[in-house]
Amino acid sequence: MFETRPSSVQHPTEHRFNPYEMNGGTIVGVAGEDFAVVASDTRLSEGYSILSRDNPHLYQVLPKTVMGSVGFHGDCITFNKTLQIRLRMYEYENNKKASTPAVAQLVSTMLYSRRFFPYYVNTIIAGLTNDGQGCVYSYDPVGSYEREVYRAGGSSAALIQPLLDSQLGQKNQGSFELNRSYTVKMSKEEVVALVKDIYTSATERDIYTGDAVFINVITKDGVVTEHFKLRRD
Amino acid sequence: MEHPKQQTQNPMVTGTSVLGIQFDGGVLIAADLLGSYGSMAQMRQLQRVFKVNEKTVIGASGDYSDYQFLLEKIMQKVNQDNCLNDGYVYKPKQLFSWCTRVLYNRRSNFDPLWNRLVIAGLENEQPFLGCVDLLGNAYQAPCMATGYGNYLAVPIMREFLEKHNNRITEAQARDVIDRCMKLLYYRDGRAYDKYSIAIVTREGSRVEECKELQTNWSVASQISSYD
Amino acid sequence: MSIMSYNGGSVVAMAGKNCVAIASDKRFGIQYSTVSMEFPKIFEMGPQLYLGLAGLATDVQTVSQRLRFRLNLYELQENRHIKPKTFSSMVSNLLYEKRFGPYFIEPIIAGLDPKTSEPFISVMDLIGQPCISKDFAVIGTANEQLYGMCETLWQPDLEPSDLFETISQALMNAFDRDSYSGWGAVVYVIEKDKVTVRELKTRMD
Repeated sequence: MFETRPSSVQHPTEHRFNPYEMNGGTIVGVAGEDFAVVASDTRLSEGYSILSRDNPHLYQVLPKTVMGSVGFHGDCITFNKTLQIRLRMYEYENNKKASTPAVAQLVSTMLYSRRFFPYYVNTIIAGLTNDGQGCVYSYDPVGSYEREVYRAGGSSAALIQPLLDSQLGQKNQGSFELNRSYTVKMSKEEVVALVKDIYTSATERDIYTGDAVFINVITKDGVVTEHFKLRRD
Repeated sequence: MEHPKQQTQNPMVTGTSVLGIQFDGGVLIAADLLGSYGSMAQMRQLQRVFKVNEKTVIGASGDYSDYQFLLEKIMQKVNQDNCLNDGYVYKPKQLFSWCTRVLYNRRSNFDPLWNRLVIAGLENEQPFLGCVDLLGNAYQAPCMATGYGNYLAVPIMREFLEKHNNRITEAQARDVIDRCMKLLYYRDGRAYDKYSIAIVTREGSRVEECKELQTNWSVASQISSYD
Repeated sequence: MSIMSYNGGSVVAMAGKNCVAIASDKRFGIQYSTVSMEFPKIFEMGPQLYLGLAGLATDVQTVSQRLRFRLNLYELQENRHIKPKTFSSMVSNLLYEKRFGPYFIEPIIAGLDPKTSEPFISVMDLIGQPCISKDFAVIGTANEQLYGMCETLWQPDLEPSDLFETISQALMNAFDRDSYSGWGAVVYVIEKDKVTVRELKTRMD
């Protein structure tokens, strides 16, 4: 009835190659007053099998800027490699390293450059602003982005984000004042402890999250990494 | 009537699982010698693990012609290296990264190389074991397997490595690989009882003579009610 | 578009020390537009027995009424209140009768045993596969968010007042991240000698 091809050239069911895959993983970013925390689990999955129990989804792109990226792992790798090259070009052209806000804008532009064949990735950038404040940027796969106080991304995002609203955003706790601050008023120790709790909970219900969590704390002195074990089933 | 260009083929002659495991001072990979044409066991002396250079070996499952195409490209690069004769050779990580890029770009052009590659070697004296699939997914692990091996062999190898705190000897690695290949021959309908090992140690790399699995089918006569 | 999320809505139940709580949002919508903010999804099925239904609104009403009917017959025949566990089987049966043309709802049953006052929570899929849980149960369009909240906030042996606080926070923060749920909430805390119903003021966006 709605045929566009003559029936003589009709093909049987066409099997189209699917260039995407979902490899799981969860990332969390929190901006503090003089620090930023970004964390990820270390599981890499393919369907119901675990490819690796030791594959953090964090990429240190500059000494004080860390990118978390999850989704299709092949795109994560490629995006990271391309970003590293672009940042090296930036350094050669401007004779300085890119600031975290500059990296954030670059990531957006790069994601958008593949608007019609997107990188299938959820991205979070964490680092410090030029005046030393913690900052977190989050993206959709085609590059729309926003600076935020906290953000969860990846397979457990739906489980974790309302928890961050409650524990970091103090949502539904009586105050109706609009929070204009871009940072949480907690110490990094408190944030790290919270992130561990959150991952322990997410691991209970999400099969694509587990094994261990890598927590990167970014301060003016650099990045400190912490490793915390999670259940492996 | 113009047809849209059909680029994505299906795999034709295929190889099944490739196994890889790291041990103290080296790494080895193994694959059986069968080239299957659908369900037919067509080629029974098909080498699937190869030496790239003294530091690197490679193995692959999936479409064998795609693998040969890729190997040809790799060998061209190795040949170039040798001609330059500056002592420089591809290290496993570099080859791994290169393969990742090739496979990712092919998938991005909707014309994938239908393989899952296992690349192994010694990188600055440290064992390296990496895997790339037809989508450009890549990861490294102390043990890995493709195809059915991912379901059947990896749990055994992981348990073994964990029990020995990720430090096993070459003999132990050979033993666990042999056990896994045997299991795969029993359980994977596309597996074969002849396999070869490619190994990299500080002494260099080599592909060993093919081994034949010592299997026991004495229970087969007892199995009933399958008809 | 899934039929299960056509109207939206979420229900959560939690067990405490000698008490249970069940809560739901109050939204009734058609896809992204909100039609009503007074749509109850929790139904009283006995003095200490409540049923929560999330899914297609028409089926929520139909199933709740058919269960009420079956429950009335049961109580007339037996001349006693039903046990939550028995009621759970009744729900499961009703749903499985429609195995090949199901009601597009998922139920949660929460209550106290009429004799022993033991807490009881069970949850089912749309064709009546039951799962009795000791801690909490979640259903609806915000189920993922609720899992994340409950898995962290819930702890054993909560007193009724703490249970109320926990379930309310879990529900509110969960449905604030779900566009299909929200627009008010209602919480029932069921104790041996009383049931407390509270309506929550929530974000209305």
